[in-house]
Order: sequence, then C-alpha cells, then structure tokens
Amino acid sequence: MLKTLDNYSVNGFFDEAIIDSNHSRPAAKPLFSQLKDTPFNSFQEMQKSAEMAIAQMGISFTVYSDKGNIDRLWPFDAFPRTIEAEEWNSITKGLKQRLQALNRFIEDVYNEQEIFKAGIVPLEVITSSKDFRPECIGMKLKHNSWANICGSDLVRDAEGKVYVLEDNLRVPSGVSYMLENRAVMKQVMPEVFRDMNILPVDQYPLQLLSMLRSLCPQNCDNPEVVVLTPGIYNSAYYEHAYLAHEMGAELVEGSDLVVLEDDCVYMRNIEGLKQVDVIYRRIDDAFMDPEVFRADSALGVPGLIRAWKAGNVAIANAPGCGVADDKVVYAYVPEMIRFYLDEEPLIDNVPTYLCDREEDRNYVLDHLNELVVKPANESGGYGLLIGPRASEEELAEFRALILDNPRNYIAQPTLNLSTVPTVCEETLEPRHVDLRPFILQGEKSYVTAGGLTRVALTKGSLVVNSSQGGGSKDTWIVVTEENT
Amino acid sequence: MLSRVAERVYWLARYIERVENTARLAKVHSQLMFDLPKSIPFSWYGLVQITSNEEYFKETYADIRTEQNCMAMLLTDRDNAASLFTSLWWARENIRTTRDILPREAWVHINELYLMVKEQQQDFNDRTKRNALLSKIIRSCQAFNGMLSGTMSHNDTYRFLKLGMLIERADMTTRLIDEGGLYVSQQAFENEEEAHFHSILWAHLLRSISAYFMYRLEYQTEISGQEVLQFLTQDQAFARSVSYCLNEMDSLAKQLPNANALQAATHSLLAKIQASHTLDIGSEQLHEHLDWIQGELSAINELLYDIWFNPKQVA
Repeated sequence: MLKTLDNYSVNGFFDEAIIDSNHSRPAAKPLFSQLKDTPFNSFQEMQKSAEMAIAQMGISFTVYSDKGNIDRLWPFDAFPRTIEAEEWNSITKGLKQRLQALNRFIEDVYNEQEIFKAGIVPLEVITSSKDFRPECIGMKLKHNSWANICGSDLVRDAEGKVYVLEDNLRVPSGVSYMLENRAVMKQVMPEVFRDMNILPVDQYPLQLLSMLRSLCPQNCDNPEVVVLTPGIYNSAYYEHAYLAHEMGAELVEGSDLVVLEDDCVYMRNIEGLKQVDVIYRRIDDAFMDPEVFRADSALGVPGLIRAWKAGNVAIANAPGCGVADDKVVYAYVPEMIRFYLDEEPLIDNVPTYLCDREEDRNYVLDHLNELVVKPANESGGYGLLIGPRASEEELAEFRALILDNPRNYIAQPTLNLSTVPTVCEETLEPRHVDLRPFILQGEKSYVTAGGLTRVALTKGSLVVNSSQGGGSKDTWIVVTEENT
Repeated sequence: MLSRVAERVYWLARYIERVENTARLAKVHSQLMFDLPKSIPFSWYGLVQITSNEEYFKETYADIRTEQNCMAMLLTDRDNAASLFTSLWWARENIRTTRDILPREAWVHINELYLMVKEQQQDFNDRTKRNALLSKIIRSCQAFNGMLSGTMSHNDTYRFLKLGMLIERADMTTRLIDEGGLYVSQQAFENEEEAHFHSILWAHLLRSISAYFMYRLEYQTEISGQEVLQFLTQDQAFARSVSYCLNEMDSLAKQLPNANALQAATHSLLAKIQASHTLDIGSEQLHEHLDWIQGELSAINELLYDIWFNPKQVA
C-alpha cells in the first residue's frame, strides 16, 4: 500500500483503487508498488507538473460570460483512475450491445415501428419527444447506423456494480480531453508507463476516421470527410479543431459548405468546389439546415437535409437520432436489447421508475425522500428533486407535480458514486467519479480503452461537470499479471 | 485549402500591414510638423485626405481640423473602419479564427500588441509618447512578419498572407506619393524656400516607409520628387515599390491554382506602370495616375474573390 494513503478512509463508498487499509484493488496494485514510498509532496509536484503541461499544450475549454468568452485551462487531477482490463472487456461488450440496440430502435422509430406495435414501448414516448424529426421518416441508413458516436456515462454504486446513467447520442463531447489527459500523464509519470501494462488510447482519431469513412454513401474510394463546427465561440471548439487535425480532415463552418441543385454537398476550396461525402457534425439538429429546422440559424447549411435524404452525403450522428437520447426512452433500453437482439443486457440501467406507470408512481410517491426525481424532457439538471436533501415543501411540490403530469417525470435511487484517491491540499483524499467512454458504430463497433473520468473536486460533491467545479483524471485500463 | 480560411489569412495580413502603414503615416506627419519652417502653413488634415476619409471626418468631427481630431480619426476611432485600432482589432479577430493553421506564437504576438495599444491609447494624445508608441507598433508588426516568414511552411496559407501584405503595401505607397504631391500643390513659395521645403518633405516621406537609405544608395543626387516617384512606383528591387509588390504577387500567384486571370492583371498593371510617362509632382495628372493605380489594385482584390474566396458555384 501507499504510505500516503495510511489515513485514507473509503467511508462506505466503493473506492476504485482501495479495498481497505491493507488491500488495493488488482488494477491499482502495480501502480501502488511503483509509488509505495512516494511522499505526498511528490504527488503535489506531479500535480504541478501536470498543470504546467496543460498550460503549455494550451488545453482549454471555453466559458461563456458577459465579458466575452474566456478560454480556461482544463482542470485535471494527476492521480489516475485504474480499471482491470478483464472487467473493461466485459463493459466494452455491454456498451456495444447497447448502442446496437439503440441504433435498431432509431431505425425502427423512423420506419416500421415494430417495437411500438409489439406494445413494448408506448408510442407516446416518441410522439411527445421534441427530438423526434418527422423529416427522417422512411430513411434507411448504411449499416443501420444512426448514432455513430455515443458517449455513455457509467457510474458504480457502493457495491461496485457498474450502471449506465445516460447515453449521449446527440453531439457527445470530451474525447479530446481523454486523449490529452493521457499525453499529460505520460509526461508526469513516465516510469510508471514503462513498467505497467496500460492499454493505449491514442487510436481513437483513426478509429473515428475509419468509422466515418465507412459511412460514405457512394463512390467511396477516397471519401472526403469533414468536421462541421459551429465555430470559434462554441465551448467545444478546441475539441473540433483537435479531432479535425488528428484525422487530417478539414474543419469547416456552415458557410464553407453549399448544396447545389444536384443535391450534393460541396465545400468551397481555393481550387474550386469539392464534393463532401461524410460530415462529422458538431452542431445540433436544430441548427443544421435552415431550410428544414430553425430558419434563423446562421450556422447551418441550407439544403443539407435534402442532400442527406437523397443519399448523397452521410451525416454523423444522423439527424433525428436525438429521439433516443431522452430519459424516458433510456428506461426502455434493456427492453430494446431483448426485443431487437434477443439478448440479456450486459450492463444494467440505473433502476428507473416511470411515473406514468401506476405501480412505479405509487412506489415513487411512497419513497420520495429517498429518490432523485427528474423531468423527462429537460437536460442539464434543471427541475431536479434530490429527495434526501429536499425540504418538506419541495417534497410536497414534487408530489403535486408528479400527480399533475406523471408522464413528465422519472425517478431513480440516489447513487453513491465510487471514489478515487485525488491530490487534495493536505493529502490524497477520496473524490467521486463517473466515466464517459466513447462508442463508435459504423461498419464495425469500437469502444475507447477507458474514457474520460470526470471527478467532483469538491469534498462530498457528486457534481462532475467541468463548468461546476469538476475536473478529470486519466483512466488506465490495466492488464494485470494474472491475465498476461 | 478552404476559401474562408484563405480569405481570413489574406485579410489578417492586409490589416497588419495597414496597422504598420498607418503608424508610419502618423509618425512622419508629426515629424514633418517639427521640421518645416514656421512660415509654411501646415495642416493635419492631410492625414484625412490621404486615407480618403474626408466624408467621414466631416460627419463625425464636424470638419474641425485640429491635430487631436485628425489623430483620433486616424489612430483610435473604433467607428472609423480604417483607423489603426480598428485594423488591429480586425487583425486579431482574423487570427483568432485561423489559429489552427498558424504558428501558436502568431496569436500570442498579435494579442499582446492589441492589449498594449488598447491599454496605452491615451498616449496618442501626447506628441512625445505618441512617437514612442507608434515606433513600438511598427516594430511589432515587422517582428510579426519576420516570425511568420521564419517559422511557417511557405505553403498556400503563407502565399495568401503575402498576397494580402503586398497589395496593401502597394496601395499605401501610392497614397504616400499622393500626399507628397498634395503638399507641393497646396503651397506657393519663393524659389529658394520651395526647394528647401521639397527636400524636407520627400526625405520624410521616404523615411516614413524606411525607403530613405535605399533611395540614397540608388540616387546619389539631391532628393527630387520626380526621382522619388520613379523609385516608389517603378523600381524593381525596393520592397515597398509598387512594381516590386506586383512582381512578387505574380510569382506567388503562379504557385496557386487557377491564377491565370490574376497573373494577367498583375502583368498588365506592371507593364502600364513601367511605361508611364513622367508626370509633374503636384499635378492633377499625377493624382489621377495614382488614383488609377489604387483602382487597379482594388480590381485585383476583387479578382481574388472571383478566383479563390467566393467563386461562382459551379460543380
């Protein structure tokens, strides 16, 4: 064990590195034996050198404010999060399974609608969804693949069991930070990398490129792939530029593209117009094509949906796939896996109560002070009730809200997120984490080796969001000796 | 290369060149002011005329031709599209949105320059401080060009940067000659006084574009307006002469796609400038000739749009 961890207390949570004061988890063992005599001030130095590397490499994210947009340095913790390769392998299978089912679902939504006819998912779930796009009805896509890039958030409960908390299918971000985190850690702990068997993460941009190329709808000897960004003022612009750069693809804005009368998409080059075959779009559905969605969008490309429907260009993620990125739809994913794939889900959902079902609703109303209640159609943590921390008035208010419009609410148990040792002011202390791996699906499926571990840097906090005091850690998928 | 990106780096370089030239113009005008005999009436308004801002000046400054108004319009006025500070602001915006294809230091350099000018713009009101600040700005622009030349691949991006710098530079050179002519035409002197005034004037104009020394190497006689005119329009070797800029633009265009029309335009303009007859300094014909060159340069700018930045959409 690490000397520095002598006073470390896991407090009844599942810690990713430590079982108890005498035992570490197998994935962390090689790291601990490397660092066993390392005093705390060496960890502080590692933390400083990580922060310097981040400043030098200019890894930033954008924060919006009235005084203009500011590039902030990426908050990072130098103590890595470790996961055993064997466990990761089975998580990988579960993530691929899940995305396959979700893609079958989206295709079904816009075509035969069999899952609704079979009575497994109520049709109102999609007809009431603001992300259902009637324009997509009847579309069939290559490899039946609509959500090509998915970021699923994983959490562990106090017993260490892994759940999917949500699937981000619109324009998930964060993967560039996963890559940069690794680059930083290689500078901070070079010896550890030499002596440990940690799976590399840096194939992601090439896997992404090869997935995007596999979507090319026609004449695909050498497809032209571009990254479509809303531009410099988007908070993820850094990532757009990073991925375009790593893939050797053009980073384009809406005004760089034009759809001509032949319903093909072209980019304006100094050599003239050049046809574009695959667009990795990083702008929301609503802004993509002013002819179809928001007419006031200056970010989009008029005619883009026309070109897509004519089968002249692939768009990843496909328009309309946000219909599956919805808290009520989420609740049905295990059913989808059974229905479309005839398999049992390999990773569970966080148990979710749909207040529209009488049985669920009664349970929710009886256990309101133990549950987290979320509106189905909001994102970003708006209108949330955290039962254990709510006042009597708030509980009464939500009771009324649920009874008034049960379809609009879901409830989940309060999660005790797992922890990882983190470099704090005095010593290494446990902080809560989640994990966002990225899953690709085109001709083949791919899952990143690990993903982006987000950590709530404030003691006791469960909020891992980078705009709200969250940071990140490098995630190591470790091949342990027993498995080699 | 994307048309949008080409257009942005082209304008980035034009704006930087404009910042530098505007600073030079303001500096030489102040210097001239100190050197001319008291008997010669001298107007700050020349700064307004040379930058073709007469209309704007009338509207915004009620045509009150004080040093302060003229300098404010030229240097700090954010509403004047052609002021030094506006140009610098645009240069910064253009580089901010093309950071991914330029060396990282490029952004840092221009951002620092912008912040410095923004912070110290009060200094433009004080003649001594003004000079020091203008010199700093000029040096910073030169360092920027040197850094790009020394750290960038000389690829299409670099070619569009150079095209922007050259066309702006050629344009400014014609405006400077025009300014000289304007003074000459406006003053009536006794013979002896006139010769004295002219030599001070031309020396200053040459210095304003760092041309004095190179001119001296070329012409060892007394400075004459006629020879300055020749040197700044027809010389093939001096980096700020119009002919040199056109030659350079031609050899850059050669390496870019679809450049035939542009090459034809630069050739034709170059040939006409080389063949132009001697025109009297201070004459209306000279002013028209310089106006005509500016018009041709502006047509070349349009041509860049037709060929590269915003071509007709044909698949």
